Amino acid sequence: MLTIAVVRTELVKSLRRMRTYVAYGILMLIPVIMAVAIDLNPPAARGEGRLLYLASQTGLLLPAFALRITSAFLLVIVVALFGGDAIAGEASWGNLRYMLMRPIGRGRLVVAKFAVAVFCAWVAVVLVVLTGLVVGVIFFGASSIGFPLSLVVGGQSTGAILGHLAIATAYVAWSLTGVVAFSFMVSCMTDAPFGAIFAGVGLYFTSLILDSITSLGSIRYVLPTHYFDSWVDLVTRGTWHSDMWRGMALQLGYVLLFALIGLGWFRRKDILS
Amino acid sequence: MTEAVVEIVGLSKRFGAHVLAVDDLSFSVEPGQVCGLLGPNGAGKTTCLRMLLGLIRPTSGETRLFGTVVTPGTEQLRRVGALIESSAFVPHLSGMRNLRLWWEAGGAKWSAADLDQALAIADLGDAIDRKVKTYSQGMRQRLGLARVLLGKPEILVLDEPTNGLDPGEMREVRQLVRRVAEAGSTVLFSSHVLAEVEQICTHAVVMDKGKLVATGSVEALIGSSGSVYLEVDDVAKARRVLEAMPSVRRVDDEAPGLAVATEGGRRSELVAALVQAGVAVETVTARRRLEEAFLGLVEAF
Repeated sequence: MLTIAVVRTELVKSLRRMRTYVAYGILMLIPVIMAVAIDLNPPAARGEGRLLYLASQTGLLLPAFALRITSAFLLVIVVALFGGDAIAGEASWGNLRYMLMRPIGRGRLVVAKFAVAVFCAWVAVVLVVLTGLVVGVIFFGASSIGFPLSLVVGGQSTGAILGHLAIATAYVAWSLTGVVAFSFMVSCMTDAPFGAIFAGVGLYFTSLILDSITSLGSIRYVLPTHYFDSWVDLVTRGTWHSDMWRGMALQLGYVLLFALIGLGWFRRKDILS
Repeated sequence: MTEAVVEIVGLSKRFGAHVLAVDDLSFSVEPGQVCGLLGPNGAGKTTCLRMLLGLIRPTSGETRLFGTVVTPGTEQLRRVGALIESSAFVPHLSGMRNLRLWWEAGGAKWSAADLDQALAIADLGDAIDRKVKTYSQGMRQRLGLARVLLGKPEILVLDEPTNGLDPGEMREVRQLVRRVAEAGSTVLFSSHVLAEVEQICTHAVVMDKGKLVATGSVEALIGSSGSVYLEVDDVAKARRVLEAMPSVRRVDDEAPGLAVATEGGRRSELVAALVQAGVAVETVTARRRLEEAFLGLVEAF
């Protein structure tokens, strides 16, 4: 019961904050801009990438394209914001010490704040997809699955595409949870929220850069971003890639590692803010 | 035997290799006491209070609340209302929402918060529903005091609670502390305004450089040494008589009379000695106040 009370408190703090809605609003704007741009300037069938072309043919795949584009940058910043601001933000206000003067325990507060940060991050991912779906259907329709498109997407039915889209959404949300966890871990260590946010963004881009160095060999397979885009074939071809399992397992390891380090650090930390 | 509300036992806190903020500190606060925690800046008062509330881990020693060793998030915190340094809130939420969230985070029902008293203390009117980021420092501090009183805590731990308040508000806070104490609560009150401590507190703990300098009732601290202003008919003779007394530390000219610094002596003994020596005493004023006692104790430490 006490944990639920703390989670509710933390949820209210996040959901009554303008910053949260500004972040969500910007993310929701991206699919709209994409739809307008694609509608005004339709891509060539083979010129600008399979997913972009498919998105112009069926509104059901616009959210997948939006997800691919935003998860490469904007979503990373937003989820790092939720993770990095969770504890350090409260410390920077000076309110963290007052929360810890309640008989709730540090472990419980960390769990509640992490749960709310992850929830807000997942909502961000879902909003991109839902906005993309609505806008995509409005602009490009939902019933255009068929010849000649069915040849391109491997004959996926509307239901299959929606199912695969849902799985892809969950996969991206889970993949980004590693970024949330890293930002959160740093947030447990510092009173500077921007430092924690940049740490999460930095982790993502450092991993991307390292992953592009093929000479690193098998080391690349354990980089947090290595399997980030493994979901694309599921949506475009309807084929489940085994890399998705590896990606989920890898993120699980990172999420647990970062969250536990953050928890351990925070439990021993002197609250001086 | 009554259990102490607060016990500080051999408490030390070291930050890094070179900063010993609190050094083997021990004292206790009994039920019903209004105890002032005094010390110059950097004496370790806030560090001590933070350890008492489980915000900072002691390097050695321990703190106890109601007989229970304090650990972070201890259940005993439910019986404590605390204000450490400045009041702080979630800025994008209203004062009321802040109070409610803070209270409910502890798993308590909002209806049990005794809100009316808290709102009366805050005296924020309609501003209680405004976002805290629009508040002045004084308004935040009053809201902080309201939060302290939610649920009628058995002990108030107040660290410089009058910071940021105007003189009228400071007086209100002092009256509030008195009322709370009269209602049976214990108060541990840190302040650098010694006159304030003298007015409010029944007991005091004096710290310097992290160590305990003195502890006891305010009366005892003031009374153990002092300063007396005397006006006499023969200043030179009075000076000779007074300087010969073992309880007199120093005699200074302060026209038209003499300022006499004493150690443990009573004013009546000074007057008796002067009269016995044939010196007529026209005025005797005890000038010894807590500020002087404090400075004397810290300088001698």
